[in-house]
Amino acid sequence: MRPKLLLIFVAIALLLTACNAPAPTSAPKAEPAQTQTAPTSVPPPAAPQKVKVRLTTWAGVDESKELQAVIDKVNAAAQTFELVHEPAPADYGTKLQTAMAGGTAADLMWLSHEDIIGYASRGALLDVTDMLKADTTNPAAKLDDYFEPVLASCQYQGKYYGLPWIAQPVVMYYNPELFAKAGIAEPDESWDWATFQDAAKRLTVPGQQWGTSFNGWPPPHMWVWQAGGEVISTDLKTCPVDSAEAVQGLQFYADIIYNEEHAVPEAVIAEQGFGEMAKTGKVAMFFGGAADDLDYAYTKDPKNARLKVATVPKGPKSRATFAWSAATSIWSGTKNKQAAYDAMVALTEGIHHWKIVAPRKSLANVETIAASVPGKAESAATILKALPDMRPFRVIPKYGDWNDVFWNQFMDPLFHKKGTAADLAKTARPKLEATLP
Amino acid sequence: MIESYGYTLSHYCLVGAGLGLAMLVAYRVLRLFGVKGEAATGVALVLPWVLGFLIWTLGPILASLYFSFTDYDVLQAPTWVGTANYATMFTADPDFWPSMRLTFLYGLLSVPLGMAGALGTALLLAQDIKGIGIWRTIYYLPAVLPAAATAVLWRWMFSPSAGLINTVLSPLLNLFSLARPAWFTDVRLVLPSFVIMSLWGVFGANTVILLAGIKNIPRHLYEAAEIDGAGRWAQFLHVTLPMLSPTLFYTLVVGIIAAMQVFTQPMFINAPRQAGLFMNVYIYQQAFGRYRMGYAAALGWWLLVVILVLTLLVFRSSAAWVYYEGERKR
Repeated sequence: MRPKLLLIFVAIALLLTACNAPAPTSAPKAEPAQTQTAPTSVPPPAAPQKVKVRLTTWAGVDESKELQAVIDKVNAAAQTFELVHEPAPADYGTKLQTAMAGGTAADLMWLSHEDIIGYASRGALLDVTDMLKADTTNPAAKLDDYFEPVLASCQYQGKYYGLPWIAQPVVMYYNPELFAKAGIAEPDESWDWATFQDAAKRLTVPGQQWGTSFNGWPPPHMWVWQAGGEVISTDLKTCPVDSAEAVQGLQFYADIIYNEEHAVPEAVIAEQGFGEMAKTGKVAMFFGGAADDLDYAYTKDPKNARLKVATVPKGPKSRATFAWSAATSIWSGTKNKQAAYDAMVALTEGIHHWKIVAPRKSLANVETIAASVPGKAESAATILKALPDMRPFRVIPKYGDWNDVFWNQFMDPLFHKKGTAADLAKTARPKLEATLP
Repeated sequence: MIESYGYTLSHYCLVGAGLGLAMLVAYRVLRLFGVKGEAATGVALVLPWVLGFLIWTLGPILASLYFSFTDYDVLQAPTWVGTANYATMFTADPDFWPSMRLTFLYGLLSVPLGMAGALGTALLLAQDIKGIGIWRTIYYLPAVLPAAATAVLWRWMFSPSAGLINTVLSPLLNLFSLARPAWFTDVRLVLPSFVIMSLWGVFGANTVILLAGIKNIPRHLYEAAEIDGAGRWAQFLHVTLPMLSPTLFYTLVVGIIAAMQVFTQPMFINAPRQAGLFMNVYIYQQAFGRYRMGYAAALGWWLLVVILVLTLLVFRSSAAWVYYEGERKR
């Protein structure tokens, strides 16, 4: 061993370290001290350095490009912060949790509404209630402008942990050509479950085309809501899935899913794709999110079927429809709370003019939808009709456990005809309630 | 851009400097304690690997053991719960035993079939025919393909109406008026589908390893057997298999470990939940999907115990069927 060699190595390494530029920080630099010289004109104080606010999202390549355009506008207007996007399209949840555990999470993050309560209940998100209430200048901070069920998805124990940037109600995309061929009038506001089921049957030609397609989507929850039932009660204390109303909704769903008389069989969905079958004209009625491109996909590729939009059929008690929502939240470990809040609100305002549907009443109009997504101009009016009835899932801290029981021990056997909704609900209810807070 | 590289580079240099210093200090300390120069040099030179092992392998292993006795959701500090996670696993988790059963059955079916297939392929590739090198390269290609891409490819091959497998089987199916199997959507066919997928691994590393083993069998043994009147089958049973047994032993142990830890294929292929989840997939879901890192750690340690027991059983049994040339049996 040559210790001298090691010493030389250590010396070179230290020399290289000393020569490198200091690491960039996100903290604003202190203003340079004024030196004691003869009186001269005092130079204007340096503009405060913008705080770097990191944002992590699940956006892929195309969505990231669009988001960057929004971020650029936000940054151009911002005086105190600079928003930097760090996309993580793969394993987003895993990366987020790992970063939080390691203390390196981004200041801002996108969260699906199913995840917000889980993170909030575990102290991972910043409570922004006071900042929102004190904010009287930013339109995106005006809480009473939001659709209440969507805003509630960002609340935990009365506090707000983010701002929603989208609410996608489920609507029904239908193929007018298939309807015309079958001699059936196109769907309208009068449609109810019976009309829908009858049309689905008449629009099915086994092996060639099907009236509709269910696959766990649309969520069975909305059929329960339409029947007047709940899967989680408002007070989060019970799971009344065995109520007459809930059973009615779930049994209706079970009678349709994978039933070749009305709907696409499971093996065919696995093979040909769920949404793709609607685009290729093999499914006459498909339940999709309001932002899905099914109604203007034909403009991108003429081979796609030309679909139109209708509101979902009405149930026995209501026309409730599921709305997927997502929010921007602040990591509780952020070192720049105010800058992160300012960035969150500015970004939310920007996204409200990009994504549809913005979850705000003041932006719930045809002009905003058409301006955000021109392809949706024709469907905008119908989409707006769905907004008063839309609601996200009611979420609890252990929502993952609840979901496991709901889907694996209740829905999966129900869809595969292992029991009726009434029978399966009796055994599922206590297991679901065991996961409630 | 140079600035951001410089920041990372400076960290690398710091680490390098720190390691160099640690090596020097270790050497000096050992020499002070009278250790010979050569030994002290050896220890100093392996020190970087040892530190890496301690920090990034042994450390996390011990941490996971600790977490397995805690309620830990990653986002908050762990709370000690003793053996509650293990108790839940064995008595109160409805998905645990089905996952164990599925994983175990998968190993039980895929490992022997894979070994038999690899051995057959290796025997074929051991022939002295023209262009055998090209064939060996072709049969090794599956081993170098990314697992995720392979899973997607198999998903297409198993497609009920347009997949390659059902297309090849269709004359037979039509002959007996059987419906085309819905491989990944029929609960009864999920396990066989994954087992068939696993045979892809036959044409890869296992074949190459067994081929090397076959090539190392001395020719004079086959000549002696032939002189004694042994046919091809007898030569295979009494010469090839015993001489290949150490290699088979190795592929069996590695095969069992790999089968019990299968993860990539089930993650990329959606199978009905009724068919169950493989253990590693279940562990991943518990850790990151359910905020139950403590419970996932307990599941991981249980899986380690199971794999260890199976491996030890194979080791114990090896005395009965593994033959090492030159070994004296007492």
